[in-house]
Amino acid sequence: MRAIEPVLRAGPHRDARTMSDHFAAFSFVDRIIELDAARRAVGRYEIPAAISAFPSCLVAEAVGQLAAWVAMAHIDFRGRPVAALANETRFRADAAPGDTLTLAVDIEACDEDAVAYSGSAQVGGATVIELADCLGPMLPVEEFDSPQALAGRFELIRGPGAKPGAFHGVTPLRVVRTGGEAGHSATATLHVPDAAPFFGDHFPRRPVFPATLLLDAQIGLAMSVAREATCWGEGKVPKPARLTHVKVRSFTPPGATLDVEAELAPGGADEATIRLSARMDGKIAATARLDVVAADAAFAARDNR
Amino acid sequence: MAQTEISKEEIAAVYPTVAATVADALGCETEEVTPQASLIEDLNAESIDFLDIVFRLERAFKIKIPRGKIVENARGALSEAEFEKNGIVTDVGFAQLRAYLSEVPVERFKTPTKVKDIPRLFTVETFCKLVVAAQRQAQAAG
Repeated sequence: MRAIEPVLRAGPHRDARTMSDHFAAFSFVDRIIELDAARRAVGRYEIPAAISAFPSCLVAEAVGQLAAWVAMAHIDFRGRPVAALANETRFRADAAPGDTLTLAVDIEACDEDAVAYSGSAQVGGATVIELADCLGPMLPVEEFDSPQALAGRFELIRGPGAKPGAFHGVTPLRVVRTGGEAGHSATATLHVPDAAPFFGDHFPRRPVFPATLLLDAQIGLAMSVAREATCWGEGKVPKPARLTHVKVRSFTPPGATLDVEAELAPGGADEATIRLSARMDGKIAATARLDVVAADAAFAARDNR
Repeated sequence: MAQTEISKEEIAAVYPTVAATVADALGCETEEVTPQASLIEDLNAESIDFLDIVFRLERAFKIKIPRGKIVENARGALSEAEFEKNGIVTDVGFAQLRAYLSEVPVERFKTPTKVKDIPRLFTVETFCKLVVAAQRQAQAAG
């Protein structure tokens, strides 16, 4: 008898699996170089130089995947955590194609029900992202993936490491702005593709649109609202600083249509919070808040999404 | 939550933080949160919100609330077989549930009660009691 089932609402099943993409099309841990079982781990991921960009949300995904490996190994691959709650993600700098990410996670608690963790990613000793107070409920691994395949992959990345370069990027998502008030709010429709390589990896037995890709699209919409706002000082542009209250409520299947919304509330001087939501079939699928700060235009290249 | 009766004073001591935590987790105004409010029926919480609230309460009070065990706690000393049969709470289980959730107005209990519907009964005060019980447990453990 567990607490409340299900933790995440199930979306309709659609099939878009491509087994050759397993551990390639959406896997961001090449090697685990330190592991203190169920307590702390350090990993590495080489961002392929050939791709065009590696957004911060994928850096966060890499940190989350390292935590997932530690958690799955701890319970012998009976369960896998799914992205659900991330209380705070701080964006410090960008990571670029060709960079090597050093990933670190501190596991606060890990059992058959959930994994709670914090983590970070660094490039060349400089922190690019920090995650605090994240929680992923564990769901039966067999629903999503082969436990044996996962155990085998873990052995590889815990040992010699996987060959880098398997990720070939993500085709830009179709986000169509549908309304809103310039500088204050925006609504848009996000069309999740029917098929994409990442569905073969996320996950082979049950394709789910990665929440980090949804967040990336939502941040893109939010930043378009922020750029239209007039609350920024002379010579300054808005820059994403912090993502808080991330809560993913349901699985998004291939082919789904999401109604996304961003609403800006000005804060103090040169800062604002943008509330983000995504609905599927009228029901809230994910929510988050993005804190945006003003930065000198010359140093804010990352905002040019 | 069984041991000694949890006093109103104990609940009042933790309530402001619990209410603020619930409001933050659900993205609602603190004024909407009342001790008697059902998290699901009145505040539109879903299962993921329960996880979120427990996670936040653990941090706020520096306690440990066993995840996945909230409903299990409701059956107290009863075995699973005594508490429920085919997903329906037995008579003896119902009496235990009423005692465990003494803060929940009687009219909210439905008969027969499905085990999966028990979280629908949980109020903000239920979470206050969980916090107090966890605080007591932590104190007892030294």
